[in-house]
Amino acid sequence: MLAASLNTALGNAGLMIMLAACTFGALATAFSIRTGNLATLKQAPRYAWLALGGSVLAVVMMQRALITRDYSIGYVQQVGSSTTPPLYNFAAMWSALEGSILLWVLVLGIFTAAVAWQFRARTSDPLVGWALVVMFAITAFFAFISFGPASPFAGGPPVPIGFDGPGPNPLLQNHILVLFHPPILYLGYVGFTVPFAFAIAALITGRVGEGWLMETRRWALISWAMLTIGIILGGWWSYEVLGWSGVWAWDPVENASLMPWLTGTAYIHSVLVQERRGMLRVWNLSLLVATFALTILGTFITRSGIINSVHAFGAGDVEGYLLALFGIVVVVSLALIAWRGDRLRSPGAIDSPVSREGAFLANNVLFTLFAFIVLLGTVFPLFIEVLQNRRTVVGAPYFDRLSAPLGLMLLFLMGIAPALPWRKASGTLLRERLFWPAWSGVAAVAVSLAVGVFGLMPLLAFGLAGFAAGAALRQLVLATRRQGWRGLVGRVNGGMVVHLGVIAIAVGLAASNSFTHSAAIPLEVGTEQAWGGHTFELIAITETVDARSSAVVAEVLLDRRQVYEPAITKYLRMGMDIGTPSVRTGFTKDVYLTIDGTIRPTPGDTRVTLRVFIKPMIMWLWIGAGMMAVGTLLAAFPGQRRRLATDTASAPVPVETGTGSRDD
Amino acid sequence: MTSLMAAPKRWNRALKKWPSWVVMVFVVVALVAVGATRDGGPQSAGDRVDSISRRLACPVCDGESVFESRNNASDSIRSEITAQVSEGRLGDDAIIEFIAGRFGAQVLLVPRSSGVEALVWAIPAAALVVAVAGLAMAFRRWRDEARAYPDATAADFDLVATALAESHSEQPGSDQPESDQPVPIQPESGNDGYRSDEAGQE
Repeated sequence: MLAASLNTALGNAGLMIMLAACTFGALATAFSIRTGNLATLKQAPRYAWLALGGSVLAVVMMQRALITRDYSIGYVQQVGSSTTPPLYNFAAMWSALEGSILLWVLVLGIFTAAVAWQFRARTSDPLVGWALVVMFAITAFFAFISFGPASPFAGGPPVPIGFDGPGPNPLLQNHILVLFHPPILYLGYVGFTVPFAFAIAALITGRVGEGWLMETRRWALISWAMLTIGIILGGWWSYEVLGWSGVWAWDPVENASLMPWLTGTAYIHSVLVQERRGMLRVWNLSLLVATFALTILGTFITRSGIINSVHAFGAGDVEGYLLALFGIVVVVSLALIAWRGDRLRSPGAIDSPVSREGAFLANNVLFTLFAFIVLLGTVFPLFIEVLQNRRTVVGAPYFDRLSAPLGLMLLFLMGIAPALPWRKASGTLLRERLFWPAWSGVAAVAVSLAVGVFGLMPLLAFGLAGFAAGAALRQLVLATRRQGWRGLVGRVNGGMVVHLGVIAIAVGLAASNSFTHSAAIPLEVGTEQAWGGHTFELIAITETVDARSSAVVAEVLLDRRQVYEPAITKYLRMGMDIGTPSVRTGFTKDVYLTIDGTIRPTPGDTRVTLRVFIKPMIMWLWIGAGMMAVGTLLAAFPGQRRRLATDTASAPVPVETGTGSRDD
Repeated sequence: MTSLMAAPKRWNRALKKWPSWVVMVFVVVALVAVGATRDGGPQSAGDRVDSISRRLACPVCDGESVFESRNNASDSIRSEITAQVSEGRLGDDAIIEFIAGRFGAQVLLVPRSSGVEALVWAIPAAALVVAVAGLAMAFRRWRDEARAYPDATAADFDLVATALAESHSEQPGSDQPESDQPVPIQPESGNDGYRSDEAGQE
């Protein structure tokens, strides 16, 4: 029992160190700024190192407890099992509520330390000081939740000798993506804490110019990319594991990750307007506050059990705290914005809706509306339940119907925005710049028709995707012609690579949503069945058994070439049957095989019913995700030219800067 | 030499004038009309079952559709749909009403557009209207502010407009990368510029 008490004691100690370091760090730093004590202000980073050390200690102890199957800890009783393979046992840490909050705490610890490291030489700057105070406060909050109400180290009920736990949810131990999807998503969620902290610091210090934006530009960009990749990896996991052949179900937990992504996307676009024109200050602050608050609200919604979801971890005691944090974030931020209202008034004016600024504003309206619709649809069943005390479901068809036109409008904007100059565009200019992009859209429609696409919406989607891709490529071609390889880096050019990735994803979604076919095919050993241009032949039904599961596998010969093995797996300790699809992936279409129905076939049987989906262009989603990641890295790479020191971002831009339509 | 170089450029410039845009519009309308009216052929029974089951919620789980869900309750609804589809008597909506009648209205995955549920459709529409109106008002305010500069008269605005128009007519359709570059000449705003601004505000 010594080992057991060691895990609990050191784990709790780690969290306590973190809680204390962050609480004292926040108080001491704030006090030092107020009193102007530079000597104590210099100590601020040390609290961050201490907090990081505490969180690492807690996570190491949790891993040690999981590896040694320390069943004195309640959480390990819940998710530990002697039969779980090491990798999934490692991932078991984030397979339930308490552990996932511990992961959140670790990521926050890392980010706080990273901010402290990046600005270690500038602690005397009040902007940095206050940002650290905010980071400390938020970290202290989560350390408190993890230490108290959602403690992963809390003791469980006594267990008999020889007890073995059930292990993580079966769905969380049969695909390698479980290792990557949650941590990367959390990097994205938590990453937005950094720009948020600097925004609050800017409001407190009154330095609401573009300084804080510049300091946190890369933080916002990288967090956004992590959120993007985390979301897409979640879709990939769903596709490979859940067996209904879809990537996105508009489930409340998925929506909770999409909402901050939408407002975050709006933010990384509209900051460009502020950096260049010094405008939209309140708007950008609000978007950042919304992004951070929606992260907290999303965690609240999905962790409190008030909205049920397949992903939800079941009710814990943390919901009250999360709701309180959400309230504090919103109230404090709005109060600060109101208090600094006079300084936030921006000097410039947007001259014309048909301009780069105008396009960014339209983008912002669409993304904010999108986020609002997702929020409305997600919480709407709650309203009905409160008002009329009955259950309703707002499901995927609702979101599909409303998001499709928004997606088309965003594609259209992606097409025209790169061609728009700042300030004002003329008809002649647009006519010339949009010529080839527009024809590439026409070409996309023609190609779609040639390969048999029908229906208005898919054609519009492919045509606008072609248009947007043409605009992005035009920008990249012109930039590389002028600057060589440097025409691919920097924010604008990297952003175009991201756009190409988004377009690939849009095409993949439009194609797979509109042109998926499925059929239930009864198969018998030795008889070949043909459907949808493919042949299927059952070789045998076999069984594979190991310590944790027994799987019934249908070996199916596809197109007389290769054997695929859809299976139904029973996890012995859970007693659940989990269908596992088997997918042939291709550039233009996937063939997705599952065993139909809920009844396990018997091994040695000679017949089985297969459910087959033929899904076009799914691979474009993964390719697009890769392009988005690469594009974000290119965008974060420093661009070639630096702004002259005299050209301040906030100053009203004189007409003769040669940047607007004059140089056309 | 220069004429050789200039020829493609002149072609390019001529190409981008209005007539080719008019041609483009005709081509697009024709293509889309063909594609939108073209029939994808009769829907197979499997696909029809899928599209119906996507619109129904699994009665015992939380928000999953019958299409996604793998449990017994959904399986029985799916086989009910399959039976109805192969019988071929009812249309998609009628089948959904039939299922809702048997399993209760909570299996409807799309909110009805009547009663309180209509709000879920009306609020987004209202939000769109508010957003567009807000944007229009913002632009109006900005335009008024710009016009409110005391030292700028209508003649000044005309002057700028003429100058802009001239600068376009001087080099229309020039596709030199330098001038065609949609990126502003100062592509990346660096981190150096803000300090003086901040100092000014302190």
